[in-house]
Amino acid sequence: MAEKAILLDMEKCIACRACQVACKQWNELPAEKTTFFAAAGGYQNPIGLSPKTYTLVKFYEHEEQEKLKWLFRVHRCMQCVDPACVKACPVTPVKAMTFDKNTGATHVNRELCIGCGACREYCPFTIPVIDTEAGKSTKCTFCFDRLGDGIEPACAKACPTDCLVFGERDQILQMAHQAKENLEKKGRHPVIYGETELGTGTKKIYVLPEPLDYYPDVVKSPKVSEDLGFFHQMLKPFGTLTLTASLVGMVLAKMKEVKEKDKVKPS
Amino acid sequence: MTNHWIDIKNADCIMIIGSNAAENHPISFRWVNKAMENGAKLISVDPRFTRTSSRADIYAPIRSGSDIAFVDGVMNYIVQNNLFNQEYLVDHTNASFLVNTQFGFSDGLFTGYDGSKRMYKKDTWQYQLDESGNPKKDPTLQDPNCVFQLLKKHLSRYTLEKVSSITGCPAELIVEVAKTYGATGAKDKSATIMYAMGTTQHTVGTQNVRTYAMLQLLLGNVGVAGGGINALRGESNVQGSTDMAILFHILPGYLKTPRVENQTLAEYLEMWTPKSNDPKSANWWQHTPKYTVSLLKAFWGDHATKDNEFAYQYLPKVSANYSHISMFEAMYDGVIKGLICMGQNPAVGGPNVLKERKALEKLDWLVAVDLWETETAAFWSAPGVDPKKIGTEVFMLPAAASMEKEGSITNSGRWSQWRYTAVHPPGDAKSDLWILDQIGKELKKLYQADTGPFPGPIVHLNWNYGPGREEPDVHLVAKEINGYDLTTGKLMASFGALKDDGTTSSGNWLYCASYTEAGNMAARRDPTDAPNKIGLYPKWSWCWPVNRRIIYNRASCDLQGNPYAPHKWVVKWTGPETKWAGDVPDGGWPPGDKYSFIMKPEGHARLFGFGLADGPFPEHYEPLEAPVKNAMSAQQLNPVVKIWSGEMDDVGTVEKYPVIATTYRVTEHWQAGQMTRNNSWLVELMPDMFVEMSKTLAQAKGVKNGDRVRIKTARGEISAYAVVTARFKPFKLNGKSCEQIGLPWHYGYKGLATGHSANSLTPHVGDANTMIPEYKAFLCNVEKEVG
Repeated sequence: MAEKAILLDMEKCIACRACQVACKQWNELPAEKTTFFAAAGGYQNPIGLSPKTYTLVKFYEHEEQEKLKWLFRVHRCMQCVDPACVKACPVTPVKAMTFDKNTGATHVNRELCIGCGACREYCPFTIPVIDTEAGKSTKCTFCFDRLGDGIEPACAKACPTDCLVFGERDQILQMAHQAKENLEKKGRHPVIYGETELGTGTKKIYVLPEPLDYYPDVVKSPKVSEDLGFFHQMLKPFGTLTLTASLVGMVLAKMKEVKEKDKVKPS
Repeated sequence: MTNHWIDIKNADCIMIIGSNAAENHPISFRWVNKAMENGAKLISVDPRFTRTSSRADIYAPIRSGSDIAFVDGVMNYIVQNNLFNQEYLVDHTNASFLVNTQFGFSDGLFTGYDGSKRMYKKDTWQYQLDESGNPKKDPTLQDPNCVFQLLKKHLSRYTLEKVSSITGCPAELIVEVAKTYGATGAKDKSATIMYAMGTTQHTVGTQNVRTYAMLQLLLGNVGVAGGGINALRGESNVQGSTDMAILFHILPGYLKTPRVENQTLAEYLEMWTPKSNDPKSANWWQHTPKYTVSLLKAFWGDHATKDNEFAYQYLPKVSANYSHISMFEAMYDGVIKGLICMGQNPAVGGPNVLKERKALEKLDWLVAVDLWETETAAFWSAPGVDPKKIGTEVFMLPAAASMEKEGSITNSGRWSQWRYTAVHPPGDAKSDLWILDQIGKELKKLYQADTGPFPGPIVHLNWNYGPGREEPDVHLVAKEINGYDLTTGKLMASFGALKDDGTTSSGNWLYCASYTEAGNMAARRDPTDAPNKIGLYPKWSWCWPVNRRIIYNRASCDLQGNPYAPHKWVVKWTGPETKWAGDVPDGGWPPGDKYSFIMKPEGHARLFGFGLADGPFPEHYEPLEAPVKNAMSAQQLNPVVKIWSGEMDDVGTVEKYPVIATTYRVTEHWQAGQMTRNNSWLVELMPDMFVEMSKTLAQAKGVKNGDRVRIKTARGEISAYAVVTARFKPFKLNGKSCEQIGLPWHYGYKGLATGHSANSLTPHVGDANTMIPEYKAFLCNVEKEVG
């Protein structure tokens, strides 16, 4: 199967949030109890990603010289080509954070997941959210359970405006460059995000109609933490034991402590 | 829509005015995006910067209630700078027609105004006629009494300075809109107007629409691909229900409801069948007798005979206005005693709902048919109401949702699309058709048993859709709407063969051809495009009339039948043998043999429109509640609007209520909310009632984003969360700064998400022609909530 991707041409987004609801519907996620618009920036609700929300439309209001820009962005897992979360997942011998070779989807195997949080810790975009009640990591599944049957992801299916388009990554990249070019012709300064990020890129290919500064929550130069190898080494001694979330948590906390100490040391 | 959803992609420019299409008609943006990919410019005209504005090349803010001034100003610029399409004006509109020399206009009033009756005598709003009784014309458009010169004179008062001071829109933006939009006056260019309730829900609502239509005519944008005047209907089947005469003033297929002065069928037909002496005028409504008699045959079958005027006397004759506001005023006054409310929730959606809820308390009985127990069904449990003091007997009938029943839905583009039952309705819920069939059958039984003074209309109704308590056969209904040749029993092929002698029936002449011996046309799903490849998809579903996808399409060609825009032609004349190609033409006559606007007796589209109650040219008047004096004339309010002055109909002044308010919908909720406020996923997105306001107003009132505020009008008071946003800005009106706020109207006291109803604030006043309520512009005050 050729590598797949989803185009997110945010110039075409009208923030109808059909993707957000379709995601909940397909994944049978319950509604969150929300009030007013607790998150800043207009109509956004809920406040962030959560075990009940894998896809979230964010709103950005900018005003410059009386000219108003109201921008939208679909926020969720980037589906990295080379996913750090899978590498980070300490569950053995079969990873709980699964890279499905058949569909190219990275998703959580809920039966294996211990909810340790290593995937979130090492995600360059800090996406997975741990459902502490269930003890499981949660995030966008790339609709592996639709792709396997040859059906496009629920979000792309629901999108009325062709902002979200599912297809082969090569073609999606072509479409992204075409969209960027069209915007540039209009004197705009669009950005393609996801093509080369992390070196190998992601399977969510964004066309952001404005420069990254307009989207303050977008990670400007995402990086995979260098201590991923060290983390696995630290876990090694426990290899014969059954890993638990609290044990991994302890290791992560310990590493953080070390890192903090490094930071305060005068260089 | 003169055109249809997909056709939006063919536009070179799109003006969305009085509509927030991105939020309320998201699917439309599929086609707006495609047009923009091909270089189309998008203009958003709105008091508030919306999700539609976020996509626009030009955003032009105008305060609520100033559309006519804005578009008249744009038209004035187009006329003054010769951007109009002169060939189109002469060949397809009444621009060249000469008007009665007595016609005039002064200080906001056209000739013939009778102030005591608040109405016009229209005897001067007429064409000058030649000796054969046809309108006189001056194709050079120079005669001072020709429509074009009269229009030019009328528009000349709408200077940039004037329009800017009325609308609050900066003059340079008006020019930018006029230039950009006016560029589509080129013969091979087109522009479309997408409008909705922001246009219609005003005391000048009909004239607002007319203003847009006139702009389109000036530029030659009607009948062409990517053009037209396109109403985005507020519900999936509003077009269908309008076609089927859900409004009191029409019968199915836009035939007129008989008036009390139409005492006989002959008198009715005489009054409503237009005449023309011009052999080049198709004057399509000349067929009114055929459509009327065929309708009466559909209603009363064998009981409609030539000898009894085809049962014409069974039709009620109206002597008053029976629109929404009038009915609720009559309920309030105790005149109307019972109400069947199907799929409607006026306790949230009606104007001045505090009065309308009170009106419901005065009923003897109320039947509410809906998916949930709505605020209307439960009006007796509204906040502050004591059920013990209410005598109304309420019947709640659970209804099936659209996916739980078979039938057709006619979308805004006039496409009638057949749907099937996806799942069966839960519990006792029944389709509307079943409910109406049962009521019909029981009424017949009751009238048969106890005949009463006038049983005929009920007892003789042609009512055969299936036996007993079974689900009626919806195909029998669809076939009845199409109509039969009663001599053969076969389904009619199209309305061309309908007769006025009682040998044909048709429940709606416009739908004649929708269900023929060849099958159910609405159920067709062939995705092949027509040869002109402009997205007509003629074998996908069916559209009225006779599957014509773009109406007035003869106006897309010159008088030789050559398309003005060869690269996106709609129809073209291919010769006497092969005739027209492309879309179903507006009549098959050779080009030039007949005029293009076949529904008008003069065959030309009306820039001078004498059909409306409030004037042949659109004139700016202020809303019932306005922040300023009318800068155009001494007529503050549309002079023919009906003023309601009963209890609970108070009107506020700018001194007490200095802030303009408007209401709207959001993507996440639908109408009065019963379908969406009961869906937890949608409630999550928009959980609470809110009010949007500018940063300057918030600052003046000491309000921060997320604070609770109270909004007051002369009718009521509500509470909401404040959204303080740069998307609202104060308007500069005649040098004075004026604030505007906006309120979603979805909320009520039932369902998962509750909140105060914005319509507690809106007034009982309607448009001069249609009586559609003025929801979109009124005055209020805003205060931070204490404690």
